[in-house]
Amino acid sequence: MLIKSQGERKYKGFLLEKNVQQFFAGRLWKREMAPFPPWKVNLYIRKGWLQVRGAIEEGPRCSRCHHTKHFIVFDCNKCQAKCVYCRHCINMGRMSQCTELLTWCGPLVRPLRNHILDWQSQFTPLQARASQELAESMRLKRQHLLHACCGAGKTEILFTAIYAALKRGERVCVATPRTDVVLELAPRFQQVFPQTTIHALYGGADVPHSYAPLIVTTTHQLYRFEDAFDVMIVDEADAFPYTFDEALQKAVQKAKRVEAPIAFVTATPSGQLLQMKKAAGSSYIPKRYHDRPLPVPRFESLWRYDKQLLKNKIPKKLETWLKSCIADNQPFLIFFPTIELMTHAIPLFQVVDEKIEAVYAEDTERKEKVLQLRNGQLKGLLTTTILERGITIKGVQVAVVGAESAIFTAAALIQISGRVGRHIHFAEGDVVFFHHGITTEMDAAREEIMKLNKEGFPYGTGSI
Amino acid sequence: MEQEVYDCLLCGTTLHCQISWSMLIEKFPPVICEKCEGKFEHSIRAEKGHTSLFQYNEAMKDFLHRYKFMQDVVLAKVFRMHIHQLLKNQRGIIVPIPMHPDKRIARTFAQVDELLKEAHIPFIHLLEKNTPDSQSKKNRAERISVAPLFSVKGTVEKKSYILFDDIYTTGTTIQHATNALLEAGAASVTASTLIRG
Repeated sequence: MLIKSQGERKYKGFLLEKNVQQFFAGRLWKREMAPFPPWKVNLYIRKGWLQVRGAIEEGPRCSRCHHTKHFIVFDCNKCQAKCVYCRHCINMGRMSQCTELLTWCGPLVRPLRNHILDWQSQFTPLQARASQELAESMRLKRQHLLHACCGAGKTEILFTAIYAALKRGERVCVATPRTDVVLELAPRFQQVFPQTTIHALYGGADVPHSYAPLIVTTTHQLYRFEDAFDVMIVDEADAFPYTFDEALQKAVQKAKRVEAPIAFVTATPSGQLLQMKKAAGSSYIPKRYHDRPLPVPRFESLWRYDKQLLKNKIPKKLETWLKSCIADNQPFLIFFPTIELMTHAIPLFQVVDEKIEAVYAEDTERKEKVLQLRNGQLKGLLTTTILERGITIKGVQVAVVGAESAIFTAAALIQISGRVGRHIHFAEGDVVFFHHGITTEMDAAREEIMKLNKEGFPYGTGSI
Repeated sequence: MEQEVYDCLLCGTTLHCQISWSMLIEKFPPVICEKCEGKFEHSIRAEKGHTSLFQYNEAMKDFLHRYKFMQDVVLAKVFRMHIHQLLKNQRGIIVPIPMHPDKRIARTFAQVDELLKEAHIPFIHLLEKNTPDSQSKKNRAERISVAPLFSVKGTVEKKSYILFDDIYTTGTTIQHATNALLEAGAASVTASTLIRG
């Protein structure tokens, strides 16, 4: 580089360094964490190409997460005065009044347009239509709701719309509430866009310093962006914690350019999302890509299952179901309402077969266990709702224990049922809701699935 | 009595505050839930002139990470009642182990002072840290063989002093601080720490 700390004063001109520009473009970055030496950052600030601002705005409001509650006042030794920090996004590094954030306001990155879409479309007519509708909405910069049942092939539908946006030189973001989904999507995108720089961002991932026109990220990591994207796609738009956390919704708004459209992609849209349909583009796919109906869940009573499990006994019906899966060599998932009940139950299941494991959100071996189930090293997994979406396991059978529990909302139950029969050669499978009483949520889930089947197969689902 | 915390500071679940007499008297409503509280292991050992409240374990490791490294100052409240009860009736002047000024500014707060402030325990600073080096980065031999870590500022009288620190690992820090105070004329020096490493 021409500019060195000593030569700084002698050299009168200013060379824009691509790596600085590309790193900061669209980002909202803590000054101390900048991957460049302080003198260089200072140079860009003096030039006016990097802007510095305090992390807590008037109000107070956190510049990063836009949250307006959860502030802690403390005696700061750095400010030598009372200071405020935001507790809402503290897990991503503390933002306080004396924290300085950098944003890029220099020349814009000139985007490359040499993208390739390396993918042979095998769309069903429904997919093809949805894909066109979505691309059209993105071009017209209007919002879009893509409502497609579990296993409709949603990711593939995104390809054409993303490709068109990239070709226009736009920056695209695919955001999802779950790390698992980021990990599953990023390699698939890289495969079909071999020439495109793609960043996968999630908590704990390395932050690449280059510029990516396509970013696949958790909604949390969107906090670190501002005014950055021309197209915003929110996958699994209804998944926890997106629906509950207003701040994450604000993060989506903050990370995109003001005029940029948002596409919401989901199998289980909330009422709020369905409302949006009226004012914007929408596509609806009630049928799976392999043209077979969705497996309809069946209800089985399992009275006082919790008491039986706590007495170290697997309820009879559940045991029979479990053993038949093992006998038929079918992988299975058993969903539990709480981690406590699941951790209590796992030793009992391991007595039946030692190749059964349990997974939950904080489980560090979660990825490995799911992989082991997929390649047959494990026979089954007990899980919390963490595995309700985003995973595909060939030929899997599903049981929900305690389907009446409040955590199993209709949307969760639809997603759980959607794990079954996704593969073209294993399009059928068992979904059973073991319950201590039937709830309206269970009924709603079942009715919705039957409705989708009816709409997907107006002449009856038939049998082959 | 004011309740200023409604959700557990550690896990975020809503607190079901059961008002008890001790709370009314001590004015320390709980800030963490019973489940989180249960994960901390009380210390049983009390060695010559040194007492600790808790044993270092996974939950404590997580707590320290969030409090010291993520700089979540409000977590100083978590153990305020325990610290208050340990130190309120002790005869002696409480002296917190200081941080090096550079480090204190970098962290924006002195974690040991904050623990005492939240516990309503009065204290005075009589020591000064000589180097910004951290003990936690050194091995045992290096820790024990270092030059004096502290120098005395202010006047030390012929009285009893109680040193207070967040964690006691090899005891080097406490040993150096004790020596510094004794040499400056203290009658006796004991130590209390939140955690026994």
